[in-house]
Amino acid sequence: MNGFLEYVPGDSLLHRLNPVAKLVFAVLFAIACFCTGNLAFLCVMLAAGIGMAVSCGMMRQTLGLMKAVAVFSIILAVLLILTTPTGDKLVDLPWGYIGTGSLLAAFTTIVRLEAAAIPLFLTFYVTKVTDLSNSVVKVLHVPYKYAFTFASTVHFIPVFMNDMKGIMEAQTARGVEFDQGGIVNKVRLMVPLCVPLLVSSVRKTNSAAIAAEVRGFNLRTRESGYKQYPMRGADIAVVVIAIALLATAICLTALL
Amino acid sequence: MTIEFRDVHASYDAATPILRGVDFTVEDGEFVAFVGTNGAGKSTTMRLINGLLKPEQGEVLVDGVPTTQLKTSELARRVGFLFQNPDSQICCGTVREELLFGFRALGCLDEQAEARVDAVIDEFGFNPDDDPFLLNRGTRQLLALASIVVLDTPVVVLDEPTTGLDYRECVKVMSIISRLHQSGTTVIMVCHDMEVVGDFAERVIVMSAGQVVAQGPTFDVLRDRATLEAASLVPPQIVDISMALGMMRPALASTPLAAANTLDQMCDAVAAAVGATYSGVRGLEEAR
Ligand SMILES: Nc1ncnc2c1ncn2[C@@H]1O[C@H](COP(=O)(O)OP(=O)(O)O)[C@@H](O)[C@H]1O
Ligand SMILES: [Mg+2]
Repeated sequence: MNGFLEYVPGDSLLHRLNPVAKLVFAVLFAIACFCTGNLAFLCVMLAAGIGMAVSCGMMRQTLGLMKAVAVFSIILAVLLILTTPTGDKLVDLPWGYIGTGSLLAAFTTIVRLEAAAIPLFLTFYVTKVTDLSNSVVKVLHVPYKYAFTFASTVHFIPVFMNDMKGIMEAQTARGVEFDQGGIVNKVRLMVPLCVPLLVSSVRKTNSAAIAAEVRGFNLRTRESGYKQYPMRGADIAVVVIAIALLATAICLTALL
Repeated sequence: MTIEFRDVHASYDAATPILRGVDFTVEDGEFVAFVGTNGAGKSTTMRLINGLLKPEQGEVLVDGVPTTQLKTSELARRVGFLFQNPDSQICCGTVREELLFGFRALGCLDEQAEARVDAVIDEFGFNPDDDPFLLNRGTRQLLALASIVVLDTPVVVLDEPTTGLDYRECVKVMSIISRLHQSGTTVIMVCHDMEVVGDFAERVIVMSAGQVVAQGPTFDVLRDRATLEAASLVPPQIVDISMALGMMRPALASTPLAAANTLDQMCDAVAAAVGATYSGVRGLEEAR
């Protein structure tokens, strides 16, 4: 069983692409989703994202992600419904009204967030974090320090989640009932957990930093990496597609 | 309070079974040690005892009641649990608060509880106002142990209570556990140190690859070379020496030398063999 944002080995086209190409594609793809409010275009993007997930066998992870994003975007959607009085009036509110336009805006937001998130998350599932950070150093000339910081942050997410689980179990064993009462109760019980979690995180990051330091972290340069990350035809094609998508999104907004 | 496992199968995700048919019973007031290599499933077994994990098949009975029918807080009143890593357990700003935490969680913080906390602080020699996170590794482990001891549960489950401690800390932890046991608490302990197991446990359960491969009175198991080797364990040194003596010289095989399990017994046997008198380890120390 793999954790959140953890690399899943595989041999699909997405696995084999240059990490930089994947990253650039995912970022441009997300920007394109935010550049336009065209629902048809966003639906196509969402379908494309799901298609990519299927092509590399990550449907299970993607569904999990989509569920998480849905929860978050539904909160936004409700806010939008209540605060954008456009379209034909459906329900009267003390401060305005809910119209067909409000519903459309809310739906667009959900689709947009889902579509934008999928390739970004997929990138982590089909790319080793070390490859991602090393290739960013090699190809994009990002200083190693920043790439490393980023890579360790991602690497520590599952570690922290594991710590959190361990701490919650320790509390449960002492009689704390996380499964009782509502969300308020749960939050009240989780607050004391922040202390041990923070302490163990700081300990861990501190010792990781020292371990990196004593092994010559500061001496590392772009030339230190031995693996090369050449951009092949397919990689360049992927970047071109991403630029085309972004251009389409901008044109749709500008022209319609 | 008894703990009973009946053909227990358990896993963290359905794809990889961890426990594959575990059967054992721990009687009221017993001191049982679980041994086995890392990954054998000892910690998983411990989690089943306090309901953090529920069996997929079979039953875990605490005092005759399946853990699936008990809320975790009800189990927490019966079973105190010391985790392998004390840092996941400590969560309060002062030692005193940390010891009160369990009472608070169980909703039974009263004057009696406060008195009990103060008694435990004295017993362990803590400073009640110390910040738990600034204590050293051994003292944090002691604090974690104290936070279990203070609740006075009829059963305590200890996952590697001595790992990572120096000799003095180890002795302190074990003497506290030993005292608990003498006062009638059922003790279930995971331990890699066979010397500690030999000194304290009444019964040993050997686990390997998610199954119980041997169980019995401590020295019956520790003298069973085939079982120990199969589970990649080595017996305590005195047991090793006495078994080696018995195998080396058939003439010695039936003497106390080849049957000694503890330092005391070995000294007795050696003293008898050379025609001297020996009045126990304490007598030896006094003679010095
Ligand atoms: N939280 C967990 N999730 C998934 N697998 C786990 C988890 N904890 C332990 N395991 C696996 O269960 C097996 C037994 O682990 P454990 O019970 O901790 O062994 P022991 O305590 O005897 O060293 C190991 O193979 C380990 O990788
Ligand atoms: Mg363990």
